[in-house]
Amino acid sequence: MNLRRRYLRDRIMVAFVYLGTLVVLLPLGFILVHVFLSGVGALNWDFFTKPPAPPGEPGGGMLPAIVGTFVIDLMALAMGGALGLGGGVLMAEYPEHPLNRPLRLVANVLGGVPAILMGLFAFVVVVLPMGGFSAFSGSVALAVLMIPIIMRATEEVLRMLPWELREAGLALGLPRWRVTLSLVLPAAKGGIVTGLLLALARAAGEAAPLLFTAFGNSFLSFDPLGPMDSLPLKIYVYAISPYEDWIRQAWGAALLLVLLLMVTNYLARRAVRR
Amino acid sequence: MLRRFFWLVFLLVPALAAGVTLNGAGATFPYPLYAKYFSAYHKLTGVRVNYQSIGSGGGIRQLYAQTVHFGASDAPLTDEQVEAFERKFGTAVVHVPTALGAVVPIYNLPGLSTPLRFSGPLLADLFLGKVKKWNDPRIAELNPGVKLPPFPVTVVHRSDGSGTTYVWTEYLAKVSQEWRDRVGVGKSVSWPTGLGGKGNEGVAGLVRQTPGAIGYAELVYAVQNKIAYGAVQNRAGKFVLADLATVKAAAAIDDFPTDTRVSLTDTPALDGYPVASFTWILVYRDLDKNRAFKSKAEAKALFDLLWWIVHDGQKLNEALHYAALPEVAVRASEANLRALRYRGEPLE
Repeated sequence: MNLRRRYLRDRIMVAFVYLGTLVVLLPLGFILVHVFLSGVGALNWDFFTKPPAPPGEPGGGMLPAIVGTFVIDLMALAMGGALGLGGGVLMAEYPEHPLNRPLRLVANVLGGVPAILMGLFAFVVVVLPMGGFSAFSGSVALAVLMIPIIMRATEEVLRMLPWELREAGLALGLPRWRVTLSLVLPAAKGGIVTGLLLALARAAGEAAPLLFTAFGNSFLSFDPLGPMDSLPLKIYVYAISPYEDWIRQAWGAALLLVLLLMVTNYLARRAVRR
Repeated sequence: MLRRFFWLVFLLVPALAAGVTLNGAGATFPYPLYAKYFSAYHKLTGVRVNYQSIGSGGGIRQLYAQTVHFGASDAPLTDEQVEAFERKFGTAVVHVPTALGAVVPIYNLPGLSTPLRFSGPLLADLFLGKVKKWNDPRIAELNPGVKLPPFPVTVVHRSDGSGTTYVWTEYLAKVSQEWRDRVGVGKSVSWPTGLGGKGNEGVAGLVRQTPGAIGYAELVYAVQNKIAYGAVQNRAGKFVLADLATVKAAAAIDDFPTDTRVSLTDTPALDGYPVASFTWILVYRDLDKNRAFKSKAEAKALFDLLWWIVHDGQKLNEALHYAALPEVAVRASEANLRALRYRGEPLE
């Protein structure tokens, strides 16, 4: 009797776990399927190779936005990755350092700041002094967005490594920086890449920080000091427009953004595993 | 796919290295036209003009912040704004009119085949939220024989600083005492009721999606998206639909000011559409005072662009339902453009 009741309780709990998983996965699946169905029709050769057409004229594509997304996000990843990694390493490997407490505070506060304020920050600090909108200023805004995510992910991962690893290195007479660089970081490679990817995914979907920094550009541009377009910006502008063709292309851009993130994710993970 | 795309990018890089780029920002009212101008101008000269339609208010602000080569607005600068530019930068701002447009009342009432008729006071009451149903006797009275559905009225207005809003509220204030007192005139006003949309695009998009909605947008947005728009009763008592002829009629004025800052709303012209307006590109007269300019070549490129717009570019206006500039406006603009300077040198 008792045993049977326990089995029953166990089954109910398992059912709840499955149900919970399903409830979490359902919206994700719904979004993916919906974006795919709405967007797949917009993806054609023109979409990848042409600049946008004037409003009301059918056709045109997303080439400037696709190129801009790569340029802006990669510059942001370079800047945000370097600073975020540095901060994370400092917090995990040098717990006695006096900068740690303020650093942690800054990371926590930055993590809670709405993305559009990062854009405002970059507008005041980069756009105004440089006298113009630029892809670089957009990258700065996104980098600031990435830093706390990368910093915290790095710190978590490094903390999980056993201290014996460092002790082994130190016992061989390696200086601390060498231990971090040659032992700790390679051992934490997988987790660090996950952190970088999380930050990249978060930043790649943001339109708000780019509105008054990267600004958008209807022409293909590779100049990091000039305005540049980006997929989230295009989605934002096209999705609220009344033009059916633009709305279709906005879905296409959303699908492309999701696919790009999935591909980067896959490639980065494969690279790490090897 | 991706690899091919990268190859394409690499092949294109050298081809795109040359050429001047100009950046502009502002009004959404002429955006479809400007996109057309700049795409045509790029094919013609290779100069790339990047225009972002962020609203007239934003255009003026970015011109003041000197992040763009030119701004664009459908509301001329106020005297205080002109003075603010002069005080801060020591240069006048030149208004270059590019086209004539009409702000039309757009609505979403399925099943109506003929355009509705509105009077100025009725539009004011609709946007004040005083007329709540589409079958209100005041609408029915102006539209005999039209079967009006009993939908509730949903007002859609702009959420951003907008020259279109300026033109619309300026008109409503001229025809309604209550509008003048309660809401007033401006690029952004405190709306008594309604939903906000960003840009002409946003308002048109919202109206399209909302049965029973009424909003206001530039004519081309209504035409391109097949949104119904109404006729408005002008001062002479005629119900006028916005089109090239009625907008031109509204712009036929005798004493055209040399700085081209002129209001066309509530025109006395017999066949004139009462909510018409010029739309302007705004530039510093002394272009070197704008830090966005890095060289005289850029200033020269801007001068050439504006000269082209007020002359050859005008041929593109009518296909997009904007009226071409009247002769007086072209002459005034020629004089104003000749006054542009870069480090004291003329650009012609």
